[in-house]
Amino acid sequence: MFFNKKLFLPKINLPSMDKDLIPATRELMSAEFKKRLQDSADILESEIGISGITLFSISTLIDKTMLHQDIIDPIKNKSFDSVQKIKEDLSIGEMEESTQMEKVVNSALDGNVIIYLEGNSSVLLVKIPSQVGRSVTFAQNESLVIGPQMAFTESLKTNLTLIRNYIKDISLCIEEIKVGARTNKTVSLIYINGIVSEQMVGTLRKRIQELKIDGILDSSMLEQLLSENSLSIFPQTALTERPDRVSDSLLKGKLAIFVDGSSLAIVCPQSFMEFFHSMEDSNVNWQIATFLRLLRFTALFLSVFFTSIYVAALTFHYEIIPQTLLFTLSESRAKVPFPPLIEALLLEFIIELLREAGARLPVKVGQTMGIVGGIVIGTAAVQAGFTSNILIIIISLGALSSFVTPSYTMGNVIRILRFPLIILAGFWGFYGIMYGFCFLLLHLLRQTSLGTPYLAPFYPPRLADWKDSIIRLPLSFTNKRPNQTRAEDVYKYDPVKAKKHK
Amino acid sequence: MKVQYQPQPQNSLNTFILFFIIHSIQVGIGVQGFQRIIFFEAKQDAWISVVLAGIFTHLVVMVMIKTLQLYGPADIYGIHDEVYGKWIGKFVNSIYIIYCLWVFMTILMNYIEVMQTWVFQTVPTWLFSASILLLVIYGVTGGIRVIVGACFFSVILSVWMLGLIGYPFRFLDYSHLLPVMESNITSILKGTYKMTLTIIGFEILYVIYPFLKEKGKVTKFAHLGIAGTNVLYLLLMLLTIVYFSPGQLENTIWATLSLFKVIKLPFIERTEYVAVSFWLLIILPNLMLYLWSAHQGVKRTFKLKSNGLVWFFSLIIFLGSLFIDTRIKINQFNDFFASIAFYLTFCYPFLLYILALIKKKMTTLKEK
Repeated sequence: MFFNKKLFLPKINLPSMDKDLIPATRELMSAEFKKRLQDSADILESEIGISGITLFSISTLIDKTMLHQDIIDPIKNKSFDSVQKIKEDLSIGEMEESTQMEKVVNSALDGNVIIYLEGNSSVLLVKIPSQVGRSVTFAQNESLVIGPQMAFTESLKTNLTLIRNYIKDISLCIEEIKVGARTNKTVSLIYINGIVSEQMVGTLRKRIQELKIDGILDSSMLEQLLSENSLSIFPQTALTERPDRVSDSLLKGKLAIFVDGSSLAIVCPQSFMEFFHSMEDSNVNWQIATFLRLLRFTALFLSVFFTSIYVAALTFHYEIIPQTLLFTLSESRAKVPFPPLIEALLLEFIIELLREAGARLPVKVGQTMGIVGGIVIGTAAVQAGFTSNILIIIISLGALSSFVTPSYTMGNVIRILRFPLIILAGFWGFYGIMYGFCFLLLHLLRQTSLGTPYLAPFYPPRLADWKDSIIRLPLSFTNKRPNQTRAEDVYKYDPVKAKKHK
Repeated sequence: MKVQYQPQPQNSLNTFILFFIIHSIQVGIGVQGFQRIIFFEAKQDAWISVVLAGIFTHLVVMVMIKTLQLYGPADIYGIHDEVYGKWIGKFVNSIYIIYCLWVFMTILMNYIEVMQTWVFQTVPTWLFSASILLLVIYGVTGGIRVIVGACFFSVILSVWMLGLIGYPFRFLDYSHLLPVMESNITSILKGTYKMTLTIIGFEILYVIYPFLKEKGKVTKFAHLGIAGTNVLYLLLMLLTIVYFSPGQLENTIWATLSLFKVIKLPFIERTEYVAVSFWLLIILPNLMLYLWSAHQGVKRTFKLKSNGLVWFFSLIIFLGSLFIDTRIKINQFNDFFASIAFYLTFCYPFLLYILALIKKKMTTLKEK
């Protein structure tokens, strides 16, 4: 609260607001253009042809081949007396006339070439942006076995093309908002009109427009800025690199946000349960999908609580362990000099180190990590009597389970949650674990995502949505859109007609 | 102050959630060991006391709903103000607020005692009360939706315990129940009276009523919630009587927890350790609802509206918890509280209903 009141004031000497006109002579125009762009070294100014046409552009932002073939070639040998005439001779799709200097300079930053003809009050802006970037590749972080393999790229245009290819609907809306006083990024807000709740679009649009920041570089940054409770560890919107996932969300009545230059889309509103859904769940049979989801939820429980239960049981509650199991446990712990809390924290720390190192290492040295982690630390630690075998099993089970979560952001959260729980268990045993659990429950109950409850559909209970939550029933059962999105068009398809066609 | 109270639309609740609210607030600390107290009075007919108490509760709730329906979406604070007038109304409201905090205190103290007896003998009371109070504050400041959410999850997530309770079934001796009706009516009724501490909680209806969306369904779900609790209590009572021998039961303070003791699974024994810790989730909604209704009372009566109040109440309870630290003191505290609670929750609703009826009649006569 205290921090929010300090409003951010951009200390940028933006070009003066008087939208002055295009200078009358070539020299003046050149001077003005250079002045506004701080006399940058990559300004390209070239006079061509016989009628004194001058091209202004920023050479690093335009496509040179197009400049030569499509602009200079057709006009170099002709004489013109007005800008309109030039326009007729060019074969380029995106062209525009302008009389305002400010717009001219801004469009130069967007990859336009400015065609200036002395004596005219307007100039011609021709868009030939340079194509930098990679082509569409496989999804790396959210890979599927069954399903489309494409992932978004850093180009906003490509990403929108991918979405348009999935949803060929006239009511697909794409809004553009510029964000960042310095970076001036294009942020696209996408939704399907008629399905999405108007109120949510309004809220989100307002939230993006009200952002006061010098620049955002990636959608993951925007995601943090848009979240309702920035103090919470839980992500309140989803980040995804899969076009099919975004399309699926749009069809459910959600909103998606793209940032130019980012290969991740933001999807909201998102509930806690949905972080454990994978696109593969809709691509496989419902029995298999249900099994996979139950597996993931079991993994969630294991990875958050298993180590802390071990610590609590061994520190305070020996009595709950059955005799036969206790024998094995005490045998494996006989040589360990540390209390269970230290032992568990140590090993968890090592696992986190391994994971972080694995993520940062170049791929070529990645194999070394496996050897170091598996053999050196795993085997040697036990033989040296640092940890017990059983704890190694428990902790690696927990680590493995945390990687089952389809969402990377949520996987991180789950891994971090273990540490406070282990400490609580080390201090207060089962009471500590329960305390942590109750706190988490209350915390999750307090969160919202774009004004919708985070724990939907479990609380507030919407029994109809339970069909596609922890389990997934056949697609023909789920003819309604989730209540959480407050979709204006509730039905995905007509339930009566569907029954007839059975 | 207006009798009617209209909460903000984002705070209104679906009526069926009332089932979870009432069930979760009734089942709390009392269920851990109510069997012995009633067994002292009614012997093997204790289950009849439980049934009677249940029936009586249904009756009281019926009257409560009737009272609330007299004024539309009203709560007890508004009705007090209307019935008794401005100043006496404020006084009675204050008593009710103190009562809510008192229940809070009783639940907290009893839980801490159980924790100290069963799991952590050496951990001081203040550590438990401070930690639990912080949790409660975090929930209550989140608003009614968070509290009710906790009620919902508390009921849903404790269902597994019911499954474990079935474990002692193989050791039952049904002859413990016989002969039926050996105790006289007075002892059975005394047993019913002793159920007070275990069965109270449904008076939350007085405060939560305006928050429910469909008022027509309130009767149904309120009675369903109470019926759920009654069935659970009856089941536990019967199970306890047939499982323990009379002499054993008289020496078992927390019979329900002792039932957990016999459970033996391949990977876990002595489940009562887990159960006692898990009880935190069961008492959490109780504590939050009582603190919330006290907060709501101050908000309505004295027009104070701040989260500082929640902290203030918690501080008082924390300081209070420091003084009640021995078994004897807790027992005295419980007994004293039970007698007050009996009059306030079981007798008072009838009085309030009659008073409200008279008042209503008088105002309509005046208008004519």
